[in-house]
This record gives sequence, structure tokens and C-alpha cells, in this order.
Amino acid sequence: MSGPREPTGPELERMSRGALVDLGHELDSVRIVAQEPPRRPGDVRGERRARRRVTLLLVLSLLCAAAFAWAYLFWPTGYVPPGAPGHTANLLYTPLLGVTFFGAVGALGAAMILYVRSFYPDEVAVQHLEKGPSAERDRFTAGATLAEAGEHTGFGRRTMIRRLGLTGLGAVGILGGLVAIGGLVRNPWRQRGDAPLWTTGWKPVGDEPVFLRIATGDPKDITKVRPEDLEPDGMITVVPFRESERDDPEKVHDAEMAPDNPVMLVRLPPGTPVANPPGREDLHHGDYYAFSKICTHLGCPASLYDSQQQIFLCPCHQSEFKITEGARPIFGPAARRLPQLPITVDADGFLVARGDFPDPVGPSFWEIRRGQH
Amino acid sequence: MTRRLRHGLLVLAALVALGGAYALLVPAPQTAGAQPGQAQIDQGRALYERACISCHGANLQGAPGRGPGLVGVGDAAVYFQVSTGRMPLARAEDRGYRKVPAPEFDPDTDQGRANLAALGAYIEATGGGPEVPAETGPELIGSDVAHGGELYRLNCASCHQFTGRGGILGAGRYPPRLDVATPEQMYTAMLSGPMAMPVFGDKQLTPEEKKDIIAYVLSVRGRNQAPGGFTLGELGPTTEGLVAFVVGLVALIGVAAWIGARS
Amino acid sequence: MGLVARSLARGTANAFDRRFKAAGAVRRQASHVFPKHHSFFWGEFALYSFAVLVLSGVYLALFFVPDTTEVVYRGPFEPAQGLYMSRAYESVLALSFEVRAGLFVRQLHHWAALVFVAAMILHMARNYFTGAFRRPRELTWLGGVALLALGIFEGYLGYSMLDDLLSGLGVRIFSGLLLSVPLVGTWLHWLVFGGEFFGDIWISRFFVAHVFLVPGLLIALIGMHVGLVWFQKHTQFPGPGAREDTVVGERAMPGFASNTVANGVCVLAVLGLMAGIFQINPVFLWGPYVPSQVSTYIQPDFYAGFLIGGLRLWPRWEIHLGAYTVPAPFWVGLVLPLVMFALLAAYPFLERFSTGDRAAHQVLQRPRDNPTRTGIGAMGLVFWGILFLSGATDVLAASFDVPFELLVWAGRIGLLVLPPLAYVVVRRICVGLQRADRDVLERGVRTGVLQARPDGVYVEVRRPPGGADRQGRPIPLEYGGARVDHRPATSPEPVGEEPR
Repeated sequence: MSGPREPTGPELERMSRGALVDLGHELDSVRIVAQEPPRRPGDVRGERRARRRVTLLLVLSLLCAAAFAWAYLFWPTGYVPPGAPGHTANLLYTPLLGVTFFGAVGALGAAMILYVRSFYPDEVAVQHLEKGPSAERDRFTAGATLAEAGEHTGFGRRTMIRRLGLTGLGAVGILGGLVAIGGLVRNPWRQRGDAPLWTTGWKPVGDEPVFLRIATGDPKDITKVRPEDLEPDGMITVVPFRESERDDPEKVHDAEMAPDNPVMLVRLPPGTPVANPPGREDLHHGDYYAFSKICTHLGCPASLYDSQQQIFLCPCHQSEFKITEGARPIFGPAARRLPQLPITVDADGFLVARGDFPDPVGPSFWEIRRGQH
Repeated sequence: MTRRLRHGLLVLAALVALGGAYALLVPAPQTAGAQPGQAQIDQGRALYERACISCHGANLQGAPGRGPGLVGVGDAAVYFQVSTGRMPLARAEDRGYRKVPAPEFDPDTDQGRANLAALGAYIEATGGGPEVPAETGPELIGSDVAHGGELYRLNCASCHQFTGRGGILGAGRYPPRLDVATPEQMYTAMLSGPMAMPVFGDKQLTPEEKKDIIAYVLSVRGRNQAPGGFTLGELGPTTEGLVAFVVGLVALIGVAAWIGARS
Repeated sequence: MGLVARSLARGTANAFDRRFKAAGAVRRQASHVFPKHHSFFWGEFALYSFAVLVLSGVYLALFFVPDTTEVVYRGPFEPAQGLYMSRAYESVLALSFEVRAGLFVRQLHHWAALVFVAAMILHMARNYFTGAFRRPRELTWLGGVALLALGIFEGYLGYSMLDDLLSGLGVRIFSGLLLSVPLVGTWLHWLVFGGEFFGDIWISRFFVAHVFLVPGLLIALIGMHVGLVWFQKHTQFPGPGAREDTVVGERAMPGFASNTVANGVCVLAVLGLMAGIFQINPVFLWGPYVPSQVSTYIQPDFYAGFLIGGLRLWPRWEIHLGAYTVPAPFWVGLVLPLVMFALLAAYPFLERFSTGDRAAHQVLQRPRDNPTRTGIGAMGLVFWGILFLSGATDVLAASFDVPFELLVWAGRIGLLVLPPLAYVVVRRICVGLQRADRDVLERGVRTGVLQARPDGVYVEVRRPPGGADRQGRPIPLEYGGARVDHRPATSPEPVGEEPR
């Protein structure tokens, strides 16, 4: 180091603080090029004003902190429904906390900024930088040290051992990755033709009819749909229901929560011109059409039913599906039609599904074409 | 404005012509449950022929390019459309959005209610269709708010948003916000399915369920369930992001500018 | 300081130094010079927001139950009583309504998350437009890009696991994006969700990622990022004494240290105010997630807005390869963000490659002094901004009464047309600003005062900052990269300007 001469202990003892600071700066290549007091010397009024402002802010901060503590501890909390006494006071709890918190912390921060600006000297310091890489000496010695260390390991000569060792390290790494990921891997196609991506809750089991039940969120409220339950221009969300599950609220609820199950049942006004695409000529029952509610783009419920134009609109990414043309996507990012559920009416006049959706429900994926019938 | 005023005066004149005795004949004209008297139907026809006939035709059959037929829409549709000011249109090119109702059909006045009921009775008698419920006001507010919320999110939120802040439809049409809709208007809207809205008949959503939905909307709209401060329109992350930048970042940039400013 | 305290402090310092030999380092760091500029505090907004996030997040984790198990709500919140919901959502309702200041802390956490990412974007823009990423600070830049990406992912994980209807739709979209990956999409989905959407494990996985994995990475990266900034020394704007081998500013102690602490306190204050008076993500109003339910105005938090915007704009281009399908969302939901972040990360290297500038830089550039970079940055911001706005087509359509289809088309076309336009325009503006600066330095500040010369010609009086020579001609000054004062000040000799 080409620094200043190293002073001795007694010399350091004798040096003033200013001299010591200067010495330190010299060691750190720092120069103070300007240092001005925050105000003219002798500006007593300015000094007093600054002190008063900072004090005021600190007092304000303390007052707000006290108010915060008071509100936090004693303001009535807990939920109060609208209309009940104490509702408005309840709504004010969090805002009160926020305002008092802001007062306490904000005034403290402002006091700090103001203090620094009012009382710290305004300085301009310049520090000299050692640009570029390390000193030659360090680079050469470091390189040599490492090279010698490498030499001592002898890996350079024993190629066989080196290769085996590296392979072993790699194997450990791969093992680690395998254990980390392996347990998470599940085969989506384990059930083959019955894989979850190909089937929904509408898939018949045995001969038991699958009814269309109005979704209500209440598994005890079981309303099977008859055609006359729907007015023209009416739309209702239905989920699959089997009589064998009537007394099992959990299963009824599960059928409503299964992401592939929701279906929009629409009754078109009589005489609506409809152009069913090939393969979908006979899936409907009269004016009744049942389409999957799950958008073929990314799976949101495409359930904005525009009864004037007979369009379904998905509110997430705004795909539009023309109902009277077999739910053909006419605008937006969805590429596939909404799958249509084949329906009919049973002997008792209830609407039933005639089978699962012919097309996979939900967003597209790599293998999807293998599931289209 | 002048046209509306003229309408108001005409109604006044019509009422005078019909005579004060009319009020005695129909004690509670706003309840559709009461048998509509012939006088009420006649009054409704008079109103229809003045305010509606030019677009909807003499026998409710509609006029091509001007207005749809009204056979089968029922007095529920009449109540919804007219009490919310959607009908009669102020101008032919109007899209039928909510506006202040014509004074003669203002549901907040006795006279307005009587006129609405009369117009509805005429439409009902001539064309039939869904009927305005017998109950009014608080009677239309159900008790199970939470179940109403579930049904609302299932059937209504896809157009009207979680808490009734409205939404969008194709081709520049908008499902309305529900901020000011009265229970009667919400109920009749579900029954009649105005404009692009689907119909929710009494077998799709039972009257009880409709009332629960109304109770839910009333309970969450406005600042009723906003314990966390300003709602920012309850539009979700869009306005929140805006506030994060416009309030949060701007305030912080101000702080930094103060710290960094030369004294 | 009292005598006792002083001797105690001295004793501690001595004991510390005897063990760690730290005196030299302490002195060096205390007189470390940090450049003064208010925009150098912007990155700290993100740093302190992150501190707030960690602290409030630990508190929230004491109440949040990361569990998909369904329960029936029996708590006080009337509009949810009797509804089925996951224990996760139930615990959020309990936190919001039954824990003192629970809602306040939850809102504090969420606002801090928004400000965290917003501040990172602001900070990144400052670094980009001033060329702070240039050699030797490429690693700092890369760390920043990784922090932004991780921050967005972390935020998404955080609001998703509440399992409300709004975020549930976001999880549904995430599931759809996983499925859209060619070749391995379905396997990837099964790997993440443990089965078909939504399964019963995703909340605890999201939780582990949100509270352990990603924060751990974030803390490591922040440590590296801040350490690099400190030990490589902060860059500085051109100005008196600012050279490539100097740092001009104030010493760390006491000026810079006091200011940065004050800045942190103010960040906490602003976040606390927002947490108290602006309701954020009122999940109790959105209801629990049910797959058949949906609302209008479905948006993610703003930092993911560019993703949903892309998803709304991208046309329905499904590619079929024989029996296999590449779904349309793949390109815009996964490839586009990856490309955007890759370009962001690669920018310092691309710029070095195209300009051949391999020198180390300590002095920043004003945006106008590198019009190409500034133009490219404007192009990127406009591209991002259009995607972002397109994520809110529905809110915009309803607010401004414009059909949303029109906005989608405007976005599609705008995305192709506006960024290059922004490049051209911003570049022009930069060149113009450069000329204006040089005009002042060479010919003087315009004073707006007209003066009649003896020959009757009126000329504008100029004040050249370099003064005038004996013939009254301005003495031109060299542009040094620093801000040029365009206000007519009390500079030397006013000089009459020839009419052009």
C-alpha cells in the first residue's frame, strides 16, 4: 500500500480528533471538498424555528401513537351487520388505526428528515475509486495459489478418478432432483379412457339416470329440472344428480363443486333460428340446450348470457360464444366450442343427460384431440 | 324536457277528466293482487296510447324498427321498464338505460304508482305475462342473506359483479349497476328478463330465493360492508393498482424528493 | 452521552474489535461516500416494503390456515353464514372480522405487496433510462430482473391462496396455462396440483412456496443486490467532480444513514395510511371459490395485469400437430412473459454488443443523451402499458362507454403500431432536448427580451453561460452531461442574437 506513513501509538494518542478523521479519510481516499453549516452562523432564530418544528412533529407522533394504542385497545371491534347499532363505528375501526398509525410513524419520519436537513452540515465528499481489476500482485499470487492447490489434488493426472468422481457428484445431484420431483409426479392418464380430463360428473354409471339439478349451493335443496321450469330466454346453472345420492349431502355438494360439472341450461325462445354444427344436431331437446359453463380458453365460467343476441360471454378474457351456432367462438381468445351436453326428457318429464359430454371440458391441452369423439 | 313536462300536464288533465271519484274505486292500485278493475285497465290504455303506442303498436304487436311487441311481457316488465325510467325512451335512438322516470310514472309518488299499476293492468289484461308480486318494499327482502349471496354469485354476478357494480356485454351494452335499484325493480327484472338479461321464472329461482338475492344486494351495496376504508369503487385490483401508483408511489417519490432536495 | 454510557460503548467496541478486528472496516464503511440524488432512494421503497411484507406476513401466517378442507362458515360475517368454504378462506374471514387489527395488517400486507412491485418497476426504469446497468453492474441488473419476476410470482401466490372467488378464478387460469404447455402440460399440471384442478393439496403447496421458497430466494437476491450496490459503489449523475474514478456525495455516517432510515420510516407510514383508509381485496365480498360462479371485472393484481391483457388480446390460434394440439394461451401466457423477462435480462449485453461500449461506467447518462436506449425503453414501456391496459378492457369499456370489442382490436393493433411509434417519437424528443441544451451552452439562454440594434434589426438578448468575448460573441461551453439551466439567470454579458 502506498498510503501515508504508519503513525506510532503515542503519535495517535497525541493527535486531535480532526487530525484522526483526516488520517482515516486519507486511508479511504475520501476528501471533504465542501462542508457548510445548515445555516449562517449566529442565525439563532432559524435554529430555534427548526428546533420547534422538529419538537412539534415528535410530540404529534407521540400523541398519534397514544391515539393508535387507545383505538387498538378500546375501540369496539368484531363484525357488526349493517343496520345494527355500532355498525358505523365498526366501519371506522380500520381507518382510525390507519390514520393514527400514519400520524405516529409519518410524523416521526418527517421529524427525522427535518432534523437532518436543519442540523446536519451540508457536505460534499469525494471518494477516489480504484478502477479495474485487482492489483497485478494479487491476481498473480491468487492464480498461482489456486494452481498449486489444484496440482496437490492430483485430479489433473488421475483422469479416471476425476471422471468417476464428477459423474458421482452429478449422480448425487440427479438423485436429489429425482427425490424432490419424483414424489410429485402423477400420471394424468392412469385411468386411460376414464382419465379425469376425458370425463365429468355427467358420465353415467350403470343405468342410473343422471338428472339436471339446479345449482343452489345448498345440498339439501334438490330441484330436478323439468322443461316447463324454464321460461323462454331463461338460463339456469345445473349440475349432475343421481337419485342414489339424494340422502348423501356430501356427494350432492361434491357434484356441485366439481370444476367440470357446471352446465348452463338455456331455453331459447320458440322459433329461434338455430344452426347446429355437424355432430351436434341431436344433442338438444327442443328449445333446450345444455352447454358446459367452463370456458374452453382457460376455464372460467363463460356464463354471461346475453339473451338478446344469444351469446355467452366469458368475463375473464371475453370470449364470446354464439349459442345458436352450437356455441361457436365468435370473438376473443377461445378456440373451441363450448362442449354440449346431450339431454332428453325421461318418462316422468324430468330432463336427464343422455351421456357425458362428447368433447373434453375446459381448457385445451396437448393431447386434447385424442379425446374428441 | 318540454316533452316530459307536456306529458306531465296531460296526465294531470287526464286525471282531472277521469274525476276524483276514481281514487275511491281503486283503493290500492299499486298492488297487482287486487283484481284490476275495468276502470284501471281503461286508464292504463289511455296512458299506453299516449306514451307507448308509437313504438309498441296499437295492439301491443310492436312496430318494426321501433319497438318490440309487448304480448306476454306482463306487468312485471312494465313495472321494471317504466319505473326505472328506461321507458318511455326520451329519444328514439336511446339505448334504454336507467334514467329519472317520467313524473307520471315515478314509483315514489302515489300518482306514479297508480299509473304504473294501471299501465301494467292494461298490458296484463291484453297480453298476459309475468306479474308484479303482491308484496312491496320490505316484504321483498328475504332473510337468508348468505344464501342470497350464493345464488347471486351463481346467477347474477357474471353480469352485475360481486357487489352490483355492473359490467359489460358485447357490442357496447352494459348490465346496469345495482346501486339504486329498488326491491320491486330487482324482483320484476328477474321475472321479466329485460333487454339482454335472461328470464328467471319462479321455478328457476323461487320467490323466496329472489327475495334472498335482493336482501344480499341491499346488504353489500354502498359502504355497508366496507370495514377496510374507501371501497375504491369495489372494482377489484384495477383501481387498487391505480391507487398503489397514484397515491403510494407518488407519496413516496415526494418523500424522496424532500430528502434529496438541496436545502 | 453520560460518562457511564460512553465508557460502556467504548468497552463494547473494544471487546468487539479484539474479537473481530473490525475497526478498519467500520471506519471504511462509515466514510463510504454515497452520491446524493432523490431518485437513488427509489429502490429503497421496494426494500422497505419488503421488510414490511416479511414482518406483516409472519403475523398473518399465525392466523392463516393453508387447508382446502371444506367447512360450513359459522362466524359472525352475515353474508357468509352457512356457506361452504375452505378452511383457508374461513381463516381469512376470521382474521378480518375477529382479530383485533387483523384486517389492518392484512391490508398492510397487500398494499405493501403492490408498492413493493410498483417500486421495483419505478427503480428499474430509473436504472434503465440512466444506463446504470452498464459494466460493471450487469449482475446487479440481473438480480433486479430476477427480483421483479419473483416478486410478481410471490404476489400471485399470496393472493391466490386465500381461495376466494376472485383469486380462485386466477388459480383456474394458472391451471389452464399449465395445461397449455406442449408435450408435458398435463403432466406438469398433475405435478403441481396433484391431480385434476383444483384438488385438495394446492393451497398448502402455494403456502409453502409463498412463505418459504420464494421469500428465501427473495431475501438471498436482495442481499446480493444491495451488497453489490454498496461494495461496487453507487453510480452518480454527471456533475461537478463526478468522474469515472470518483464518487461525489455524502459520507454514509451520518448523512446517508439518517436519510435512509427516515426514508424507511416514511415508507412504513405511507403503507400504514393506505392499509387503514383504502380497502384492498375485500375477499369477504367476493365469496368463497365455487367453480360454477364468476363475476365481472375479473382482474389480477396490477403486476400480473400485462399477462391477462395478453391473454385477452391474443387471437384463437390453436396449432394442431397431427393428433396433438398447442393451445393458444401457451404463447401469450407463458412464452410472452418469458421472452419479455429474457429481453429485460439480456438488455445490458445486447446494448454492449450493439454499441461496442465495454468500458466500466461510474457516471450515469441523462436519458436524452442516449436517445436509442431511451427510445427502446419507451417502446418497451408502451408495449407493457398496452398489455396492462388491455387487462382492464372491461373496466375501461364500462367507464368510458366504448364497446370492449373495439378496445380489444385497439389493443391488438396498438401493440404492433404504438411501440415503434413511441421509439421514433421519444428518440426525436431526446435529440431535440440535446440540441436545446447545446444551444444554451453555445449561444446563451434566451431571455425573451428584444433589443433594437443600431441598424434597426431587432434581436433577442441571450445570456451565454460562458460569457462573451470582446467582439460580443458568446464563448461556447462544452456539454458535460449534467443538467443545463434554461432559465435566464444572472450569467455574464448578455449577447444579442442574430435573427435567423
